[in-house]
Amino acid sequence: MTTRERFQAIMNFKPFDRLPVLEWAEWWDQTIARWHHEGLPESITDRYDICRYFGLDIYKQDWFSEQKPECPKPAFHGAGILRTEKEYDAALKYLYPSINVDPKKWTQWAIEQARGEIVIWFTVVGFFWFPRTLFGIEDHLYAFYDLPKLMQRMNSDLTEWILKVIAEVTEFCQPDFMTFAEDMSYNHGPMLSKDLFDEFLKPYYKIVIPELKKFDIIPLLDSDGDISIPAYWFEEVGIEGILPLERQAGVDMAQLRKDHPTMKFIGHYDKMVMNKGEAAIRSEFERLLPTAAKGGYIVGCDHQTPPGVSLDDYLIFSSAFREYAEKAGRLSQNELAIH
Amino acid sequence: MANFKELADSIISGKAAEAEKLTQQLLSSGKSAGDVLNQGLIPGMDEVGRRFKNNEFYVPEVLIAARAMKAGMKILKPKLAESGVKPVAKIVVGTVKGDLHDIGKNLVAMMLEGAGFEVIDLGVDVSAEKFVQAAKENKAQAIGMSALLTTTMVNMGATIEQLAKEKMNNTIKVIIGGAPVTQSYADEIGANGYAPDAASAVALLKSVLTLNN
Repeated sequence: MTTRERFQAIMNFKPFDRLPVLEWAEWWDQTIARWHHEGLPESITDRYDICRYFGLDIYKQDWFSEQKPECPKPAFHGAGILRTEKEYDAALKYLYPSINVDPKKWTQWAIEQARGEIVIWFTVVGFFWFPRTLFGIEDHLYAFYDLPKLMQRMNSDLTEWILKVIAEVTEFCQPDFMTFAEDMSYNHGPMLSKDLFDEFLKPYYKIVIPELKKFDIIPLLDSDGDISIPAYWFEEVGIEGILPLERQAGVDMAQLRKDHPTMKFIGHYDKMVMNKGEAAIRSEFERLLPTAAKGGYIVGCDHQTPPGVSLDDYLIFSSAFREYAEKAGRLSQNELAIH
Repeated sequence: MANFKELADSIISGKAAEAEKLTQQLLSSGKSAGDVLNQGLIPGMDEVGRRFKNNEFYVPEVLIAARAMKAGMKILKPKLAESGVKPVAKIVVGTVKGDLHDIGKNLVAMMLEGAGFEVIDLGVDVSAEKFVQAAKENKAQAIGMSALLTTTMVNMGATIEQLAKEKMNNTIKVIIGGAPVTQSYADEIGANGYAPDAASAVALLKSVLTLNN
């Protein structure tokens, strides 16, 4: 199977030759800096060159920002850049770029995708994340009650912009999947109630998702934390899957699969075991193997490889990953045999 | 005429202006500052904590409730001082060195204030020395530390070591919390307690300080 055929088989719950050996997110700078000291050639810094170095599958991602490069930055982590509708009006000149796709890059990607060499995906911010970047973490949470009309206006404007992005990218190719960056959960579940989700997020997902599905682009949710409860809310609006399913936050893959038999998942390999030695690394793969063999699930680090993981640790991890990827593929032939 | 239940309800529904007005009305009608606190504001925040713990309330509802409580407290504080009503206890809180995440810590601070504790909030990126110094200066009975990152939670242990170095580890209790923190981690570094969420922090602090509920 090609990289792309393999992805499509897994996502469609069909038998596959092996799992992708995948690091779905870009590495932390600190992790790569450490590995450069430990033997990773200094010249290898590009995300996809690192994938090639370790023999990983290549899924190419573009993150389209709704903010123009000249948009003011928050004064500190978690701070906002505006507080009122008037300030939002003033900020509009920094938001919603009219041209988002780099034609040269996407033309090349489309060629590689057509040959089956890569999977293409893109990311846009979601309707929880976006107002948070404008208001700041805490003021955003107050804004649900204090500035509901402005929140709705922001998400309505974001919706229009996302629709334009979809139109732009689909002129070049049909991306295989996309993610809405939300990060709306923490280790005790969602930051907001279902009522607020229904009022402030749901109407906009209901507009954007059908447009994605017109082009067979699989819409996934990217949210840290425990998404067990919001998984239902997102499934209801048409989101087809979730990543990265953080183990440390209490996500339980077996339960999640039981509760959402048709959802697609990526991640969930507990990053905290990656420096605990080969036995622990293998044990974590063993935990995930039965679910992976049943399709609809691509195993991967449940966020990004932490800087505590040495190059030697990562070589052990990636070698075991290849072995279990093959094993999952063999098991899938029976588990997912076409009846 | 205003009553305590109405005040508690205004806290629960996060109506700051109403909480402020009702607090003023209750004081004007002759109720003592202590009664307004103990029968109006604290029961309101207790209920918020209960609903938060049961997933009936989420972070936005807790924030607006805490804001309403603060609006009431603004009126009440001078009266409490005049009438000699003391806080339940004093605690210094902060997010540990290297960590800039503060919403979890802020929720804990709000819940503790809502339960009648005096909270000295040191903010984020707080060093071990600063925690201990602030506890000394404010004569606090406890230190509460928060961390969101596995890379920064190790700094909780540094504060406990600093307390030991200054021979204050028997007089100042330490409670910790945050996404990567666990009870076993609290045991490992010698903290007096771990709270899995903001609402539990109130009961935990009362327990480690052996205060009556």
